[in-house]
Amino acid sequence: MGRLVYAAAMSHVLHPEYYEKNVGPSGRRMVEALIDVVRDMGRAMLDTRPDALVVIADDHLNVFSFDAVPALCVRIGRWVDRMTQDDAIEFDRALDGLPARYALHEDLANRILERGLEEGFDFAASWSAPLDHAFLSPVATLCGDRPAPPLIPFWVNCFVAPQPTPRRCFAAGRHIARVIDEGPWDVAVIATGGLSHFPELSLARMGQSDPAFDRRIVRLLEAGDHEPLSSLTIKELHETGSHELLNWLVLIGAVSPARARVRFFGEMGRVDLAALEWDVR
Amino acid sequence: MSRYDVNVILYRLKKDAEFRSRFQHDARALLADADLTDEERGAFLSWDTRRLNELGGLLHLIVSIPHLGH
Repeated sequence: MGRLVYAAAMSHVLHPEYYEKNVGPSGRRMVEALIDVVRDMGRAMLDTRPDALVVIADDHLNVFSFDAVPALCVRIGRWVDRMTQDDAIEFDRALDGLPARYALHEDLANRILERGLEEGFDFAASWSAPLDHAFLSPVATLCGDRPAPPLIPFWVNCFVAPQPTPRRCFAAGRHIARVIDEGPWDVAVIATGGLSHFPELSLARMGQSDPAFDRRIVRLLEAGDHEPLSSLTIKELHETGSHELLNWLVLIGAVSPARARVRFFGEMGRVDLAALEWDVR
Repeated sequence: MSRYDVNVILYRLKKDAEFRSRFQHDARALLADADLTDEERGAFLSWDTRRLNELGGLLHLIVSIPHLGH
């Protein structure tokens, strides 16, 4: 019988230079403090010796372009490459210097996909999609110099309307937990991104966040009160800039009813940063 | 509604250096056959990123196109 051995959620631009440029020295200091916490979380994750690491994150219009945008997608195959971006700017610079290729856990990925189709989750499958900063910045920070466990990248369409609902994301997480439970593997699961930034995906509102909304989300997670989170609407997420909370909702479905422990919470103005762990063992 | 075309052009400006170079050299010729409204075409030609965003251009593309700024 498989076990979920570690679960966490965290911001995913773990790149001090980005915050130095866009916020200034205070932004750099805050993300450096978060990076220290995530490194510590990574030691705890790797000490559980997971056979696989499920990473739930979003595409920033790097991978699926605009021709076909899957609501939920499982990466299958044996290997996955880091996205390459010539003359990268903004958050794409977070990929600089990271390893170019990562092993996948092919059997668990296939099982999530195939059992999903049997159970009513018509996930998309990709054999070729590379990983952008939403996946690799947290994985690299968590693992440091130690090898990353074989990955199962799982994409949630957070930005291209119409997105999957929070309740559907939560249900997808329940499915992932059932598949882990049925299998023989010890599995870690992380979700990335999260707290409010880029409200309404509006260029004119870049630099704004919604700390009151973020505090409410974190309080609900600490209390293990998941129904109000599943009941959030896409409209609420869009207006507050909490699109990436959809990634977290998959994880919340996987760990429910466990309560979160807040390892880091910081209000920066441009974006609120966080890192949370769940007691799942 | 050509929001699809707006975003495909933004995507190519990010990912395709040759396309981006042609845009910088002669955007009007490059976009001559694109399925854009006059307003969308005008926003591209004047590189009015706020207007492109208001017309459905996705924020994450607009802020990550090399060399053009936002």
